[in-house]
Amino acid sequence: MLLILVLSGCSNSTKTTDKSLSSIQVTDFRGKQIGFNRHPARIVCLIESALSGFYMLHAENNIVGVSSNIYEGDVFTQYAALDGRIKNKTLPAPGNWDFISIENVVALKPDLVVMWASQTESIETIEAKGIPVYAVMLASIADLYKEISDLGTITGTEKRADSLIQYTKTQVSAFSSSLKKTAVEKQKVYFMWSQGPLETSGTKSTVNELIELAGANNACTSPDEHIVVNLEKVIEWNPDVIVMWYDANKSPDDIMNLSGWNNINAVKNKRVYELPSAFMCDLWTLKFQYAVKLLHTWCYPSASNDINLDSEKSDMLKMLYGLKGKNIR
Amino acid sequence: MVLLCLFPIPVLLVSCFIGPSELASSKSIFEYFRHLLFNTDAENATNLLTVQSILIDVRLPRIILAFLVGGALSVSGSSLQAIFRNPLVSPYILGLSSGAAFGAALALAWAFLPVQLSAFIFGLVAVALSYVAAIKHKNLSIVSLILSGVIVTGIFTALLTVVQYLSDPFKLQSIVHWTMGNLHNASWKLLNASYIPILLGVIVLYLMRWRLNVLALGDEEARTSGVNPVREKIIVLIAATLASSAAVSVAGIIGLYGLIVPHMVRMMIGPDNRQGTIINFLFGGTFLLIIDDFSRTIAGFEIPIGVITMLIGAPFFLYLMKKTNIGWEN
Repeated sequence: MLLILVLSGCSNSTKTTDKSLSSIQVTDFRGKQIGFNRHPARIVCLIESALSGFYMLHAENNIVGVSSNIYEGDVFTQYAALDGRIKNKTLPAPGNWDFISIENVVALKPDLVVMWASQTESIETIEAKGIPVYAVMLASIADLYKEISDLGTITGTEKRADSLIQYTKTQVSAFSSSLKKTAVEKQKVYFMWSQGPLETSGTKSTVNELIELAGANNACTSPDEHIVVNLEKVIEWNPDVIVMWYDANKSPDDIMNLSGWNNINAVKNKRVYELPSAFMCDLWTLKFQYAVKLLHTWCYPSASNDINLDSEKSDMLKMLYGLKGKNIR
Repeated sequence: MVLLCLFPIPVLLVSCFIGPSELASSKSIFEYFRHLLFNTDAENATNLLTVQSILIDVRLPRIILAFLVGGALSVSGSSLQAIFRNPLVSPYILGLSSGAAFGAALALAWAFLPVQLSAFIFGLVAVALSYVAAIKHKNLSIVSLILSGVIVTGIFTALLTVVQYLSDPFKLQSIVHWTMGNLHNASWKLLNASYIPILLGVIVLYLMRWRLNVLALGDEEARTSGVNPVREKIIVLIAATLASSAAVSVAGIIGLYGLIVPHMVRMMIGPDNRQGTIINFLFGGTFLLIIDDFSRTIAGFEIPIGVITMLIGAPFFLYLMKKTNIGWEN
């Protein structure tokens, strides 16, 4: 009797062991092929940026578990505006980018878990329990497009995924072509992560892509994705603009008052800016276009008079999240 | 002895010419000084301004801070080894490092206090807890003190783990970087905030240098020499904690430094604390400065000084240990 129950349970599964027979197939960022016979109805998404992707695809009803980071800090308000389950804190959060409760993940009976590829031990444990994992590792904007496209395939929203990608590409390219018309000297930008004023990103990073799309140059010439530099180097680079990643505990004034920074052009000319929200400027979502526009207006204020950032933001939210985007503040 | 006392001068001077910036090269610095002293015509005034900024605002505070931190950890370590009569003791033995790390993590995660102040306060709290826990019937046993230090270290390490568990990736990375020990955030502001407690602690330990020799003989011997061992030990404990807490609060945890350097000094000049105290300060400060010179120039990015201390200091210590006597008994 027990055997029959177990076998019948398996036959209802969306998973398939023979991937060649799967009608739905994607290759995750580990290069691993994942196949399904039908679209996963129960998805646990432990990556905040990927969760944003599911909301953009209008596939949020498939989500049965989220990252605990959703319930913390700045992003909670925005996700609460998108989903009543998050607002009422009824959507389970079995883990985050770092720690995962395998027991709680299994208890949600997911057809798929979306998590960071770096969480290798947890991935192994979850897969050993027969639950497929779509592992993510983003290093460029091209990776971001691939992620959205794959999530579209997984949830059966391929058309929506294509239109989202197309919209973003059009926005960015329209912006880039408008930049070419303005013949101004390229500004040098120093990007500052919230871990500390000397933590930045080099030329092989998403930050570098962001700076270049905004029509400026990255002050940090090292190729590293994340690097702790010496203040001597920052003084030597002498950036025109400093852009801080969102930090609830710091403001541009704190940076302008840092000892030893006063001779840097960006500080002397009070051109230190902070990205206003981790949710709105998330570089690992299609919202990176808003950060590009912000950066451009900070670098070239006189050439950006015709950019209305408020309407750009509300148009983007409406396009990306649909009607629910209007509720996001 | 004289050589050891003069050792810091050339190292301090040479350190001013060492750094990752190509713009502030030795040639540019010489040109800057020439311009400053003889008011010569500068070829490129903007460059000289940058050189001045790098030299005065970045290198100089870092050089002085590295020297003070190294000296404080070293002299505190040697004094504590003397009063505990134990060669394995370091300034971190009473929970200072884990308390300070917890304080720094709390401030990094929730920003309720400046990081350095929080690290300093919690470092002191940890040592005070170890001390209070060890007192029994108004007696202070060294074994109880070391044991309570181990337990308090465990408690603060567990609390640190809780803060790390609750932190987002950005904050967690900041906490981990802090615990690695580094001087890359050195500035005049940090120096101003730390030099008074460091120097105060070091001066008290220097004034206690005679008594340290007596205390190192044991309580009975100290009493027969007219020294009150309990009172004197508490004074040494407070001074060492003050200096090392201030050092840890600005530089993070520089592992094993306060253990290794006192042994190096003993290998060089013997166990006499009368000379040992000042030599520990001068040699400890200079050695950390040399390590920091490596830390800021060896690669295009900052290598945490705690890592370099281990990679350079530990093999050098093992080499000295093989070549000479450990210098504790003799």
